[in-house]
Amino acid sequence: MRALSKKWQLVIMIGPAAIFYLSYLMLPVALSVYYSFTNYSGLGSPGSAGVSNYRQLAHDPLFWSSLRNTGIILGIALVVLLPCAFLLAVLLSQQIRGAGAMRALIFAPAIVAPILVGLIWVFILDPKIGLINAVLGAVGLPQPEWIGGTTLTPYAVGFVFVWEQIGFMLTIFYAGLRLLDREVLEASALDSRNRWQELRHVVIPMLQESFGIVTLLIITGVLRIFELVYELTGGGPVHLSDVLVTYMYYLTFTLQQYGYGMALAVVICVLGVGGSILYLQLGRRRRREPVR
Amino acid sequence: MSQSVSPAQVRVAGRAAVPAAPRRRRRSRLHVAAAVAYLATFVIALPLLWIVLLSFESNSAILSHPFSITRLSLANYRMALSTLDLLLMYRNTFILALGSVPLGILISFMASYALSRMFFRWRRLQKALRYFFLAGLAVPVYILLFPVYRLDVEFGVYGTYLSLILPYIAVSISFNMLLFTGFLADFPAELEQAAIVDGCSLFTLCARVVLPLMRPVVATLLIFNTIYVWNEFPFAVTLINKASLTTVSLGISQFQGVWNVDYGAMMASTVLVLIPQLIVYAIFQRQIVAGMTAGAVKG
Repeated sequence: MRALSKKWQLVIMIGPAAIFYLSYLMLPVALSVYYSFTNYSGLGSPGSAGVSNYRQLAHDPLFWSSLRNTGIILGIALVVLLPCAFLLAVLLSQQIRGAGAMRALIFAPAIVAPILVGLIWVFILDPKIGLINAVLGAVGLPQPEWIGGTTLTPYAVGFVFVWEQIGFMLTIFYAGLRLLDREVLEASALDSRNRWQELRHVVIPMLQESFGIVTLLIITGVLRIFELVYELTGGGPVHLSDVLVTYMYYLTFTLQQYGYGMALAVVICVLGVGGSILYLQLGRRRRREPVR
Repeated sequence: MSQSVSPAQVRVAGRAAVPAAPRRRRRSRLHVAAAVAYLATFVIALPLLWIVLLSFESNSAILSHPFSITRLSLANYRMALSTLDLLLMYRNTFILALGSVPLGILISFMASYALSRMFFRWRRLQKALRYFFLAGLAVPVYILLFPVYRLDVEFGVYGTYLSLILPYIAVSISFNMLLFTGFLADFPAELEQAAIVDGCSLFTLCARVVLPLMRPVVATLLIFNTIYVWNEFPFAVTLINKASLTTVSLGISQFQGVWNVDYGAMMASTVLVLIPQLIVYAIFQRQIVAGMTAGAVKG
């Protein structure tokens, strides 16, 4: 191998990827960070603004409301998506007729374009034409503004996110379940008094890695939600239903406050990376404790 | 142990060793599990079924009594097909996928091979470069949108397919290399040695010996990257500045503006882009699920 690893050969092999990666990924990241310290508005050369963009962000009520909305969606994903995906994976790993077909069907939303997912759910959630309110109206119940109002939108987006992701997360749990030791499971089935105990004390501890992956995917996935809000409400009314990314998009491309928008983009990136690292650290500490 | 049968006995005798009562309990539990699973699947599939149903109803029926399924017609589809340029959307998206996915996979493979199999004078540099390329996994695309727009303008590719192809290639590299380096780590060194002894050049070695054995990884990445480009929206909405470049995702995002309150035609349009995607999924379901979850699922 050494004979085939001359310097020029290495350069030819790594060069193309490096050029694309540096110019269209690393350079943009660096540029974003740079712009976030300027008051660039598209014209002339950007003037230095120090940390004023970040300070402004801290006093921006719309930043806080979009952060809250993102937090609500994250909460729903952790409380609803995580357990539901796990329990469905357990159900569909039983010997049920058509389990494979059901897994395929539940996965389907994950391959549909997110923008199309948003549009589909307009027809379900829209207060005027949506399915849910049509049903509620038919049985004489009040018809809340699931989307477009001031309070319910982030919850609605959270549930659409659950719908979109559940098949994907289920597949990860399912793969984990299939790798479990059959003998340990059969022993525990006789040992524990009921199915719930078996799940809690045997299956869940053995699936720690799957839970970790799914949690990480949820944290990073929620911070990437864009199309759903874009399609369902466009952030309205007056940006109260914006999440971090849609608010950043509005600041950058509608208001053309590039410096300010990039400051928010940097904050989102840091939240994502920081959240993941924090979670990994917590997980490591927990794993070090003795298992009872 | 609460029961008289030990796990060892069960293992030897198989299912027969389980007493009759638990077996019955087990079967009834399976029925409950099946019922819950069917119900959950139905609820998850319901939104898709609903828009397919409504797409055949007239606009007034959708607004007044959506549950009546007596008068269904193809009028919405005629309207949608005569207004939308679906072919253009599909052609553009296809060109973008063709322009970015194979090249992205090829250059990722080359770099992965160099960084996991070839010989570096400084081992440290090799390792550092590997981590450097993987770091892109942590970068959300949203931080790239504005700078990439600036670069596209600067390089004079704004308003062409290249304006999207270049970032699509760049963002695919980290994930491609994650899978390639993972598989190349287990590549049999004997095969490499034999090829080198036979006098293979680096190019022949890669093209004739290594790449053919990487076929499963390449297939996985083809699926994963094609779906990504097909569904990609943030770059498309930021960088496409003329109607002739409209992609599938961008076209969908304009439905609400195009149709305004013509809900019937809007739903028909939605179904028209949804169904081909679901058909492709139905055909390649196993490969697609494996490809999409390749990064998250091991073994």
